[in-house]
Amino acid sequence: MATSNLRDIKRRIKSVNSTEHITNAMKLVSTAKLRKAKSTFERTREYFHYITESIEEIFNSTTDVPEKYLAGNREIKTRCYVIMTSCRGLCGGFNTNVIKEADRQMTYDMNPPVIVAVGSRGKEYYEKKCHYIHSEYCAPPENISFMETKGISKPIIEMYDQGEIDEVVMIYTSFVSTLEQQVKTVTLLPFQIDYDPNVMKLDKIVEYEPSVEEVFNYLVPKYVEIMIYGAIVESATCEHAARRMAMESATDNAREMLADLSLYYNRARQASITREIVEIVAGSEAQK
Amino acid sequence: MAKSVLLEVITPSKLFYKGEVELVICRTLTGDEGFMANHSWACKLLDVGELWIQEAGAKDFRVAAIAGGYVDVKDYIVIYTDAAEWSGDIDLEKAKSEKERAEQWLAQPHTKEDYDNILLAKMAIAKSLTRMHVSEGGARRKR
Repeated sequence: MATSNLRDIKRRIKSVNSTEHITNAMKLVSTAKLRKAKSTFERTREYFHYITESIEEIFNSTTDVPEKYLAGNREIKTRCYVIMTSCRGLCGGFNTNVIKEADRQMTYDMNPPVIVAVGSRGKEYYEKKCHYIHSEYCAPPENISFMETKGISKPIIEMYDQGEIDEVVMIYTSFVSTLEQQVKTVTLLPFQIDYDPNVMKLDKIVEYEPSVEEVFNYLVPKYVEIMIYGAIVESATCEHAARRMAMESATDNAREMLADLSLYYNRARQASITREIVEIVAGSEAQK
Repeated sequence: MAKSVLLEVITPSKLFYKGEVELVICRTLTGDEGFMANHSWACKLLDVGELWIQEAGAKDFRVAAIAGGYVDVKDYIVIYTDAAEWSGDIDLEKAKSEKERAEQWLAQPHTKEDYDNILLAKMAIAKSLTRMHVSEGGARRKR
């Protein structure tokens, strides 16, 4: 009895120990990946606000924005959701948080939503729920190129232009710090332009070439493309940060468990030795 | 010395160029156009083509190939493009082989459904041609 108990504990120590090795290795891997993803993310963020700002500025300063891109031009019936999840698990609540938020958004919809899934986790979840998944993108997101994001955004814009969808909502995880990530929901189309009094209204006339409409027809898809690209990069950074955190706590837990188990093991071993001594002593006493 | 203006060239992956320039020439949809300081405000779409930058105080132009985009001229100039390369960084062999591949593909018979792809192939040819020109110092210089 005592020996089998000892063996059990020893087996568990061995298994926890190997789990600890794995989680620790994964932590190191995601730390390295996080560093890489973060540098890409910071590079994109640097110029990123330029483009969005310049586009917003143009929207703010003209009144001739093609109406189809403005909020309130048509009733919103079918929503399109761009959901950014990861392709791998073991990253804590990263995917569940995004999916929870997406589900919350969808509860208000009348028509079944159109889903564009980036990352296989979200895709699998909504496939199970029998939602219509329009397109998916499942390669590792940290080395996605801008050209590849075009493949995601182009069909979205086409659907919007043809009136198949009335609103494009993007749900992704935004990077606050390596320890904190936040799920964010952004409406890409149509534009909600609130004339911000803080934004200086441009008082000069701006030349548009070839024409205002053409410029907008170029800028709007570009804006969507850029936003999606930025969100993918950001979400990849968050994935690694979340995985690092998850793996770190898993490693900590495994170590704690190992400490407890080795304590139990030593106690059990000591107990069995004591018992043996008692038995021997009792035996020799009886022979007297 | 002419007055200089701040120019920023932005691509999705990086800030390609930032600096004071006297003159920047780029190809808009209606033709080559140069912008200097105090240009009237404008927002123009760019075609695949060459980008010429004359830095403040410099005599020579720096040449880059850009893959279309738009230029936003205000008190400063912002050029946004999908891709940009300096003349020195261009891989001439790659540009040549890409052009050949696209041309070969175009030489085959196509159906109407391929319209998008035909456009893409033509775009690829235009891009590689620009790259080839730029790597030799620009088409303008050759004339």
